[in-house]
Amino acid sequence: MMKWIRWSGLAGFIVVVALIITLWLFALGPLMKMAIEKYGSEAVGAQVNVEDISLGFNPLSLTITGVQVADKDAPMENVVSFDTAVATLETFPLLLGHVIIPDVTLSGVAMGTARAYSGELDVVEEKETAESTTDQDAEITVSEAENQDDSESQVLPSADDILEREKLLTSIYGEELEESYKLHKTNIDKAVANIPTEQALKNYETELNRILTGKFKSLDDFKQRKKEFDALNTKFKKDKQAVAEITLAINEGKSDLSQKWSKLKGAPKQDFNNLKGKYTLDGAGVGNLTALLFGDEMGDYAATALDYYEKVRPLLVDDEGKDEIQAIKDQRLDGRFVQFDTDRPLPDFWIKTLTFTLTLPEVPKGSGSMGDIAINVQDITHQQDVINAPMRLWGTGQNLKDIKSLELTGVLDHRASPSKDVFNLDIQAWQLNNLKLGLVGLKLLNSTTSVKANATFSNGQMDVVGNGLFEQAKFDSKDRTFVAKEMVAALKNIDKFTVSGSAKGELTSPSVSLKSDLDKQLNTAFNKRIKQRQAELEVELKQKLNDKLLAYGGDYTEQLKELNLTEGSLKEKGKALEKLGKTELASYEAQLKAEADAEKARAKAKLDAKKAEEKAKIDAEKARAKAKLEAEKARAKAKAKAEEDKKKKELEEKAKAKLKKLFG
Amino acid sequence: MFNFVAKFLKLLNGDASPGQISLGFAFALFVGLTPFFSLHNLIILFLVFVIRVNLGAFFLGSAVFALIAFLTDPLSISVGESLLANPELSSMWTELYQSDVWRAFKFNHTLLLGSVVIATVLFIPTIIISRIIISVYRERLMKWFEKLKIGKMLKASKLYKAYERLGASS
Repeated sequence: MMKWIRWSGLAGFIVVVALIITLWLFALGPLMKMAIEKYGSEAVGAQVNVEDISLGFNPLSLTITGVQVADKDAPMENVVSFDTAVATLETFPLLLGHVIIPDVTLSGVAMGTARAYSGELDVVEEKETAESTTDQDAEITVSEAENQDDSESQVLPSADDILEREKLLTSIYGEELEESYKLHKTNIDKAVANIPTEQALKNYETELNRILTGKFKSLDDFKQRKKEFDALNTKFKKDKQAVAEITLAINEGKSDLSQKWSKLKGAPKQDFNNLKGKYTLDGAGVGNLTALLFGDEMGDYAATALDYYEKVRPLLVDDEGKDEIQAIKDQRLDGRFVQFDTDRPLPDFWIKTLTFTLTLPEVPKGSGSMGDIAINVQDITHQQDVINAPMRLWGTGQNLKDIKSLELTGVLDHRASPSKDVFNLDIQAWQLNNLKLGLVGLKLLNSTTSVKANATFSNGQMDVVGNGLFEQAKFDSKDRTFVAKEMVAALKNIDKFTVSGSAKGELTSPSVSLKSDLDKQLNTAFNKRIKQRQAELEVELKQKLNDKLLAYGGDYTEQLKELNLTEGSLKEKGKALEKLGKTELASYEAQLKAEADAEKARAKAKLDAKKAEEKAKIDAEKARAKAKLEAEKARAKAKAKAEEDKKKKELEEKAKAKLKKLFG
Repeated sequence: MFNFVAKFLKLLNGDASPGQISLGFAFALFVGLTPFFSLHNLIILFLVFVIRVNLGAFFLGSAVFALIAFLTDPLSISVGESLLANPELSSMWTELYQSDVWRAFKFNHTLLLGSVVIATVLFIPTIIISRIIISVYRERLMKWFEKLKIGKMLKASKLYKAYERLGASS
């Protein structure tokens, strides 16, 4: 039996395996650092930097220091950073290539810290997050302008703010008109270069005079001149064609500009109607009052929270990536892993528990942090289907200032498609002091507030609902305007009110609304002032829109004038060319015609003389024939008369004879 | 390629025991047909190094079977799929899945399980058949082959020189 054993092979095998394990352990730290930086950067779209990773062996643990995750939208800031992360590792799965971390503790966690160098990747993908934020802000109605300061007690934004904020048809059509003019002008300028200059026209004239002055000396002279004349004539035709084309281009340009000008003239009216509808704060629009009071502040926090959610989400789960990898695996005939039920699942990467503490924001701003929130996250993995559990998080308020309790829970379930992420927030007895509201210098002096909110994100859609109950509320305003006084007076009797907000729809462009029973209570006191301000705003808006129109209108008049000048110059050139062509042609033709006329006259005179001679002959012949005829006639007549006389005599004779017989 | 065939001829015509050669071929089934970076292959390597298996036959066989694996992979995957999806075996797989050691072998991977099963099934037949072939070749065909005109031609060829070089160097 022993003869079958190769002892040298056994020793060699042990040595090689031991060597591989040792190298692997030494290389693990740098490899992990590289992997975290590479794959982390790919996941967040910005640099992920790790200062150092060190391994501990009893128990196997990992200490990661100086981690910074850059903000891809603001590369000089970190989305999140932490000083140290201590993680214990499960040894056996690690030998098999599975990173299973039972517990991670982060310390020095901070958000939005400044970076020493840019965290931008070489290839940066642009996202339309800014756009969505803008839309969101716009949805939270008129907020920005009012929040600036208390000096001007404005219920509505100023006309300038509105014109700045809104995309106006007047501006769009005005820019279209300008663009169109530039295009036509370029085309016309190019075409103008092809038509003859004043000097060229004079040269034509001189040339024609030379060709057509004096009589043709010979047939060759005539042929030579004719050739030159034909060449000039071809040039005339070409130039006339160029003039015709440019005239057409100018006419088209004028027609196009005229149409665009008509559109532009109607734009201010359309703009005004649109703005009036949007910025009406009458009885129907009084729901906006809550947004005016609370929207800005809440909008900011919601936008920040949403921003962080969108940034963190790809780190936690990668549904699309998972599908892609699976598809590629299937294609390569690599087979697949079949998962079975187990109490000890083994995904590629899994942090079972992550704990850290985060500093809460300042509400109201400038009042100092509200305290800390201790966050505990369980089951962080991109293979939730393997562990068959969603990621869960719990946040509990600690060292809270002016808050009795704060609880945050979340479940991110990506086991099946579509995934579903649910978050709940519960704040009890929150003592709000000196909260600056976005209207007429109003402040919520103090209030005991309770907030309950839940948010669901699924399939790119969000559904966020939050309710706040404000009790023992006291308001004040440092403004002494009519509206401020009216407002404070109305609010004085209000001890309790609710504010409910919701954000629904696409994750990138949700429809946001804020409602409150405060609106109803303030409606009456408010309507009067709002109507007055509305009227003022309308007048101001009309004026500003007209100013804009006039600005474009002035340009248009100038442009039209320039086109007309060009057209006038062209007409003159066209006429000059026409005249030149006709005049010189007439001279040449006149010479030919005169010659032809002289020849014709000569022929005619000759013909006339011949005709006269022939006529004289004919007349003489005719006279002779007539005289002969008349002589013949006279003879015949005399003969007839003689015969008649003879007959008459015979008849008289006969009659006399008969009478003689009768009486005789 | 010449070296490859020469190695094979040297192996057949050498004095290594047919049993060691056939065992080398049989172990090569696992390394060649199954995914290389698997825990079971570490055990196979251990066995190959420790047991007096012909290493030449093992490495040669591994290379040949790795090429054949491109053709057998679809079959291996379907065998693995059918075994892992078999309801009657489900409880056994679930039980094995609870063990870190078994999971370390990645038995729940369709290609790996299928190819290991195929390699296991072919292990004994490969030993027997390759042993018979080697014995028959050495007893009857080796002398006959050398007498053949083609054998002489081969001796004079580049191939045979490569074979000779191997023989001289070993």
